This record gives sequence, structure tokens and C-alpha cells, in this order.
Amino acid sequence: MARSSSKDAQDLFRALWSAYAATPTNLKIIDLYVMFAVFTALIQVVYIALVGSFPFNSFLSGVLSCVGTAVLAVCLRIQVNKENKEFKDLAPERAFADFVLCNLVLHLVIMNFLG
Amino acid sequence: MSKLIFIFLFLAFIPLLCTSFTPERPSDRRVLVLLDDFAVKSSHSLFFNSLKSRGFDLHFHLADDPKIALQRYGQYLYDALILFSPTVERFGGSVDAAAILDFVDSGHDLIVAADTNASDLIREIATECGVDFDEDPAAMVVDHSGYAASATEGDHTLIASDDFIKSDVILGSKKIEAPILFQGIGHSLNPTNRLVLKALSASPSAFSANPKSKLTSPPSLTGSSISLVSVIQARNNARILVSGSLSMFSNRFFRSGVQKAGSPTKHEKSGNEQFFTELSKWVFHERGHLKALQLQHHKVGESSEPSIYRINDDLEFSVEIFEWSGTSWEPYVADDVQVQFYMMSPYVLKTLSTNGKGRYFTSFKVPDVYGVFQFKVEYEKLGYTSLSLSKQIPVRPFRHNEYERFIPAAYPYYGAAFSMMAGFFVFTAVHLYNK
Repeated sequence: MARSSSKDAQDLFRALWSAYAATPTNLKIIDLYVMFAVFTALIQVVYIALVGSFPFNSFLSGVLSCVGTAVLAVCLRIQVNKENKEFKDLAPERAFADFVLCNLVLHLVIMNFLG
Repeated sequence: MSKLIFIFLFLAFIPLLCTSFTPERPSDRRVLVLLDDFAVKSSHSLFFNSLKSRGFDLHFHLADDPKIALQRYGQYLYDALILFSPTVERFGGSVDAAAILDFVDSGHDLIVAADTNASDLIREIATECGVDFDEDPAAMVVDHSGYAASATEGDHTLIASDDFIKSDVILGSKKIEAPILFQGIGHSLNPTNRLVLKALSASPSAFSANPKSKLTSPPSLTGSSISLVSVIQARNNARILVSGSLSMFSNRFFRSGVQKAGSPTKHEKSGNEQFFTELSKWVFHERGHLKALQLQHHKVGESSEPSIYRINDDLEFSVEIFEWSGTSWEPYVADDVQVQFYMMSPYVLKTLSTNGKGRYFTSFKVPDVYGVFQFKVEYEKLGYTSLSLSKQIPVRPFRHNEYERFIPAAYPYYGAAFSMMAGFFVFTAVHLYNK
């Protein structure tokens, strides 16, 4: 029973992976970027648990910059995805311009809140 | 020629010599003594002479003299008042109980001696001072075990007491060896008045009753709750002495020998003279009078006083305290003077160290709270005049440019924020060139 379920899980992951392999490269790059941001946020959460919350504003700006980056990247991914019919009228160039503008605003706020 | 130069120098230094004396002399100078009759002046001359020899200017008057007045044109004529008139029903002139209490309220000193058959007036003044004499007019303090052994007295109303208040500043540093002779009425202290103190208490076996009649009901005052001599220091530092006996100031009691019943030692001289000399020094502010000068504070490493402190500043505080010795201001030495850094409640309470020359100092860190603070020295010690000093000082928070700029503990957060920015650039480049 246990053996068959682990085999099922393996089959599941293999099926997921093969399905994901069909994803266009530009979306894979965005996914990698999101993973990087989330991982950096996790490192900071572990750090504050170890060291204590003294420069709390710095912690907030560090984590929020990661979270904000991840959210904006996910938004971009939704908009540039060809299979998403909701944004079929929106040009991917326009979506990318929005992404860049939002990132500039985000990092401006983060820099002000960091120190 | 050299003589001329000397005279010239002397003249040049006269202003300096004059200012070297402090003008402030807290001791009393002019004392009004009110008597029932002038015989008291000679029968109590030892007490009066000891006051005169210490520089007091005594003005004797009969208590019902119509010419006596405590003040003229709103100015008090005297610094202190001695009431040796236990039986007076009404003072002469404009003086009455209210006038005497006003005299005390304006910071002047008072000695009241009552006796058997003390008048209502004297009782009223004593009651206002927190001292309640036994209401029975014929009552005296009787002590069947602590009486003074003598050939003539049989009713044990002449008692020998040695239960003094334990305070060097009130009774002097020299211990009073001989017991005190007392013959008069006892009083109790008003329990709601916390300023009044028993300077001389009766022994636990004493009681207050009419010695001539048989004791039918329990006496109202018994034991060591009976006070024989009480002292009061009011909040304005006026000092009052209330005694239940006029005769204990008399030459006869000052000179007579004393032997306490049941005690083998016979003293040649009673302790009355030393007791009242020392006590009158205290009452007339020749001892135990403090003054504070030079309340100063500054940041550590600076010398000028700032108009404002920042939170977490380190500061140094100092104050000078002197005690009047009767002739000059001497440095006051104690280890219990404290300063408070106060805003609604003391945030810092520190005991000051002293250099033995009157200067008290300490240093502390301003708390991490901003607002308007006060340096407060509230010093109340038994027998000493109270000191109440305060100096206001505001404390501000950090200015925006006084915070730390780069905190080592925050470097991971800085790193995360900057790596997100770098990641954004790299991602942008990759995203654009991937197509």
C-alpha cells in the first residue's frame, strides 16, 4: 500500500514536471525569479527569529521588498502568459512596462524605509 | 611707607571681607517671654541666662500686659516666643491664640510651658500644635516606680524620666546622663499629626490622675504614651516645644540632685539644664538647620548647564548642603541624600555621594523617555529642617539625524533589498533578450 502510494506520488510529480517542461522559457525565467525572491524573504525571517527584532523597520523593508518583487513578478507572469485569455488584448510590452514602473515605485519606498 | 601700603590694601579688601560673611542667619535673635508674674524671671534665671549668653535678646512681659504686640505695621517684632504663663486666661494687647498660631505659621518658633491648672488658652494653643493635655484640670503625671527619690515628696508626682528621643540633632551629641526631673501634667500626641514628636516620654508605669483623690476610674492617659515634653517641626520649619511642666525649667530643678527610685546611682545635678539648653538650641534654629546651594547639572565631560537634554544622555548632578552651627554654615555630611529625576513619578532615584565638604554629587543616564522632567531633592530627616529643591529640565527625543545610520544587525536586510534591485536588473535584461 505504502509502496504503491509513493509510486503514485512519483508518477504525480513526473506528470507535473513533464507538464511544466512545456511551459514557455520566458515564464520559466519569471518562475525562477519568484523563487529567488521568496527564498530571500525566508532567509530574513529565519534571521530575525535568531537575532531579534531590533532594526524592525529594516526587517520590514527587506522582507516587503522580496514579497513585493514576487507579487509583481507573478502579476507580470499572468499578463504575459499566452494561454491566459483574460489579457489577450494587452500587449506583453505594455505588461512589462507596468512591471518596470511598479518595481521602481516599490524600490523607492523600500529605500526610504530601509535606514 | 609700608604702613601706608598696608592700610591701602586693608581698605581695598574691606568689600571682600564683608561679602565673605553670609548675611543669612537662621538662628532667632529677638525673643518675647510672656510670664504670669515676674517672679518667674528670677526663679528660672538659669534658663534665661543660658539663652542670653548665646546672644538672644529677651524681652520680658507679663502675659496680660496690655502693651504687648507680636507685630507692628505687618512686621513681626520677635523671632520667637516663650510662653511661661500657664494660667493666663487672656493675653493682653492684640495677642490671642490665633495671633500666636499666625506667628508660628509665618515661620517663627514657640516654647509653651503648661502646668497644673493650665488655662484653656494654653490648652487651645497646644491642641492646635497637635498636643492634647489631660482634660482633668487637677491631673498630674504620677509614677509609682519611676519617681525621683527625695525626702519630702510623698505622692510620686516628681518623676525622673530618662526616656529621651533618640536624635543627636535635637538633643545634642553629648549623651544626657542624669534623668530629667518633671512635675506637671501629661499630654498625648494627636495621632493624625505626624509632625509632633515625643522628646521626653513617661515610663510605662506612669499614669495621669489627680494625686490627691482616690483613683476610681482608669486614668485616661497611661504608660509611655504620655509625653512629658514634645517637639514639633512644622512644614514651614517653625519649631515648637511643648512641656507639661513649667517648674522643670526652674533653677530649683536645674540645680537639684536626682536619684531615680530603685536606682543606686545618685546624680549631683539633674539632666534638666543640659536637656533644655540643647533643646532650646534646636528650637531656636542653632542646630539642625540646612540650606542647599548650587544645584547644578551638566553633561558628562562638559561644564556648562544645558537648557535641554536628549534621551540617554549621561549627566552629572551636584548640590551643596550646609548646616547652620549657630555661628557659621558648616558642611553637612550624610549618606542618605537622594535626587530624583521626576516626571509624574521618579524615573531615576539615586543616592548622592558626598566629598565631606558639603558637596553632593552623582551621575546617571537620562531615561529613554522624553518630556519635561525635574531634578528633585526632597530631604526630610528627623530633627533637620526639610529641604525641597526642584529644577525643571526638558528632555527631547533623538533628532532625525542622530539615529545610527548603518546598524550591523541590519546588514542582511540591506543585502536583501539591494539583491532584489540587482535581481530586477538581471531579470529585466534576461526577460528582454530572451525573445
